[in-house]
Amino acid sequence: MTTGTPLYTLHERIWHWLQAAVMILLIVSGFTIHYPDRFGIFGSMAFAITVHTWLAGALIVNAFLGAFYHVTAEKYHHYLPGMEDFTGAALHQARFYVYGIFKGEKHPLETDPRRKLNALQKITYLALLNVLLPYQIVTGALLWGEDRWPKLFDSIGGLWVLGPAHTLGAYLFLAFLIGHIYLATTGSTPASLLRAITTDPLHPPEATSE
Amino acid sequence: MSETLTNRAFVCCSVLSLCLVCPSLSGQDGVRLAHPAIPLRDEAGRNVLESGKPISTRRSCGGDCHDYDFISNSFHFQQGKAEMDRSLLSSHGVPAFNSSPGMFGKFSIIPNRQLTHGDITDPSDADMSQPEWLTKCGGCHTGGGISEYDLRGRHFLTSGARPTGPLDPSYSVRDRERGEVVAWDWEKSGIAEADCFLCHVPNANRAARKKETGRGNFRWANDATLADTGIVSGNDNDTFTYNRAAFNRDGTVKPEALNISDPTLENCAMCHGFTARNTTNIQPIQHADIMRGTEKSGWIYNGASISDTVSPKIAGKERMKFPWDAHAAKGLICIDCHFSPNNPGRMLQEDLRKNVRFKPLNADIAVYLKRPDHNFARGNIPPETVNLTRHNTMRGCSDCHDAEKGHAFLPYKSRHFQALACQTCHIPAVHFWAYRSDDWGFLMDTGTSRVTFRGIDGSIVDPESEVTGYLPAYIPTTNGNNRLQIRPTNLITGVYWFDKVKGRPVFTWQVQAALFEERPAEGEWKYRPEIIKAFADKDGIIDLPQAVYDTPEKIALVKGLLQQYAHVSQPELRIEVVPWSMTHGIAGKGQAVKECTACHSQHSMLHRPLDLNTFLPRGIPVIYRGQKMNVINFEGNEPTFDNRSLLERFYIIGNNRQPWVEWFGWVSVAAAALLSLLHGTLRALRGRL
Repeated sequence: MTTGTPLYTLHERIWHWLQAAVMILLIVSGFTIHYPDRFGIFGSMAFAITVHTWLAGALIVNAFLGAFYHVTAEKYHHYLPGMEDFTGAALHQARFYVYGIFKGEKHPLETDPRRKLNALQKITYLALLNVLLPYQIVTGALLWGEDRWPKLFDSIGGLWVLGPAHTLGAYLFLAFLIGHIYLATTGSTPASLLRAITTDPLHPPEATSE
Repeated sequence: MSETLTNRAFVCCSVLSLCLVCPSLSGQDGVRLAHPAIPLRDEAGRNVLESGKPISTRRSCGGDCHDYDFISNSFHFQQGKAEMDRSLLSSHGVPAFNSSPGMFGKFSIIPNRQLTHGDITDPSDADMSQPEWLTKCGGCHTGGGISEYDLRGRHFLTSGARPTGPLDPSYSVRDRERGEVVAWDWEKSGIAEADCFLCHVPNANRAARKKETGRGNFRWANDATLADTGIVSGNDNDTFTYNRAAFNRDGTVKPEALNISDPTLENCAMCHGFTARNTTNIQPIQHADIMRGTEKSGWIYNGASISDTVSPKIAGKERMKFPWDAHAAKGLICIDCHFSPNNPGRMLQEDLRKNVRFKPLNADIAVYLKRPDHNFARGNIPPETVNLTRHNTMRGCSDCHDAEKGHAFLPYKSRHFQALACQTCHIPAVHFWAYRSDDWGFLMDTGTSRVTFRGIDGSIVDPESEVTGYLPAYIPTTNGNNRLQIRPTNLITGVYWFDKVKGRPVFTWQVQAALFEERPAEGEWKYRPEIIKAFADKDGIIDLPQAVYDTPEKIALVKGLLQQYAHVSQPELRIEVVPWSMTHGIAGKGQAVKECTACHSQHSMLHRPLDLNTFLPRGIPVIYRGQKMNVINFEGNEPTFDNRSLLERFYIIGNNRQPWVEWFGWVSVAAAALLSLLHGTLRALRGRL
């Protein structure tokens, strides 16, 4: 069924790709800082730290703008799972991924502009946007503030705590990113979902995986 | 007439010394005015030209002009004698077997000797008596205090100064050949007053002074220091004669002969390490009179470019088109940083505790001229415990440099400046040789230790030896703000015996008694047969490679000999790893470490495994800065310094990893990638893409 309504608005598409680009660059520059002698893509470690800091600022601003947009445009409900999403819907979605997709079954959720995310997506984004992202922002901000608030920095364990803590968050983000990119190929065609979030807003809605 | 002369001299001295201490008041073009002409007096106050007796600095420099007792009560003359306070030592973690924290009283693996405690009753507790200390160390340590007063504070050669017993270390000495403690003849040796000339006469001759103190001729030691000035000439009977040509008609010494001045680089260099404003010849140090600061950590304070060095042979010098020391190249002299604390022209004008930037009440020129404080401003670097109460008083890097402005390239400046001493980046390499080990646990047939050096290919006394230099190791030390900082260091290991019952190192004479059956005053000493059998090679000779404890049996053998011949009931062989921190040989910004990956990498220079003595014995206690601590890694081909436990408080990004975070993180990433790959492959095989 073709509605002619874009699944993702222009705002959402720009926000998504900005966030994606910043996140990928943060991971790459973060690896340059974590493995400066093996991963010198940004040249010096000092330059990587500068880039990483500015990218982190951009990510926070973009996250704030995204939250502002979803609240004021009343689209935040996409990210709020109901009780059913934690039980039956989640199981249905999981079953589809581990079994149904190989049998050519229809996707459990038919997406439209009012229902863009499946149950597993809602749960994942709930954790990502409310736990992992804030955690990474807070640990990153504390690391950034090492020179500015040294007492606070030292009082919570200093680099021995915050360094590994921020690194752990980065690994989890990278793991999410890999899964996110792969699941983006589980639409009706491997590129259909990618088109939906990039250049083809009037594409007929379909069952969504990511 | 004498009084008039003295008063006139004092007025001249005051005015001209004011010019000396205040550079802005000096003559045009930086020319400094000379100290006024003074007479040299003997201990009775007579002009030495008339009496022909040794110079008394108490009478010549002290009296109306300078407060001799105040000056000679300072550390540079007391060397710890004024700090023989048990509570002071324990509060600073100085082991109890030391009698002071200074050179006069503390034990050091170089040269494995210790000043004998004043209250001993057992002859076996006697090692280095006060007069022997002066013969060994008096060349540098400038008399006054330690060579005028006994350990109970009585002035030698006065009626009250007499030994409390045959073992009184102020009045005895251990006879090297017989091994017995015998009386010292102070009447014969005389005393050595504070040697003002050694530091304030540019042409001072330390070697001549050392020669006289070395043979116990303390009385004429200060005259010997003037051997190169033309004022004195040595005689065959251990005395000196004064040359009239060097004196004015009024009996004063011609200013150009004595040339009294602020201590020059060369004056300080005579004892502290090779120092020169601009020289291409560093050869003298390789011939005879080795200087402590240089030999222990390899620093050269010299403004000349390394590439211009003519002697010795510096490996790769053509690439080193920079000075030996950036500060020397800029013309800084020792007293710019290590100043007299009450010199108004150089003192630090601030009180950090009270946030006061200028304290005019302290800047009294008259006080300074009369009583110049000779507890010179100093830092606080390991292993030095000397002058405990004056640590961190010198002009540090931040007193001249604004590091925040000069390190624009550096992220997290405050954290870097807190964690790293400036020297960590500004002494990236040492281009000279230094001590590597000094082992007194086994002695060569000269009765002395087995010494090795690092940074040189060949003998240190061979001008043809190529100096290769070395890269420092890094240790944490506390700075003036009591914060731990990482700083570069040389490491000197010593293997020595420790007397567990006495709680002190086994003295060298005891090790000699255990190893040798004959110890002639001249020539080679003769090892005991069991030592030859266990240690010597096929030719029956114990050379450097054989003079090592490479099996437990050899350790057990010498332990038994120490018990049998030196009566040490519980000897324990120990290794001490002593860090000798580096403060000179500073590289400018062009040579300083700027690459982040120098530290922030898996192969961080901060964990560089500096090689230690190749033949360190295994399985014996290792002592590091007074505590048993395993800082040696025996796993490779050669023992190396392992500072991982020392630096564990520092998290170095790019070097430190939290293993479980890395493990969990990579498993998460790998799981995501593998599951995606597996899922995609199955979809493809099923034709569901």
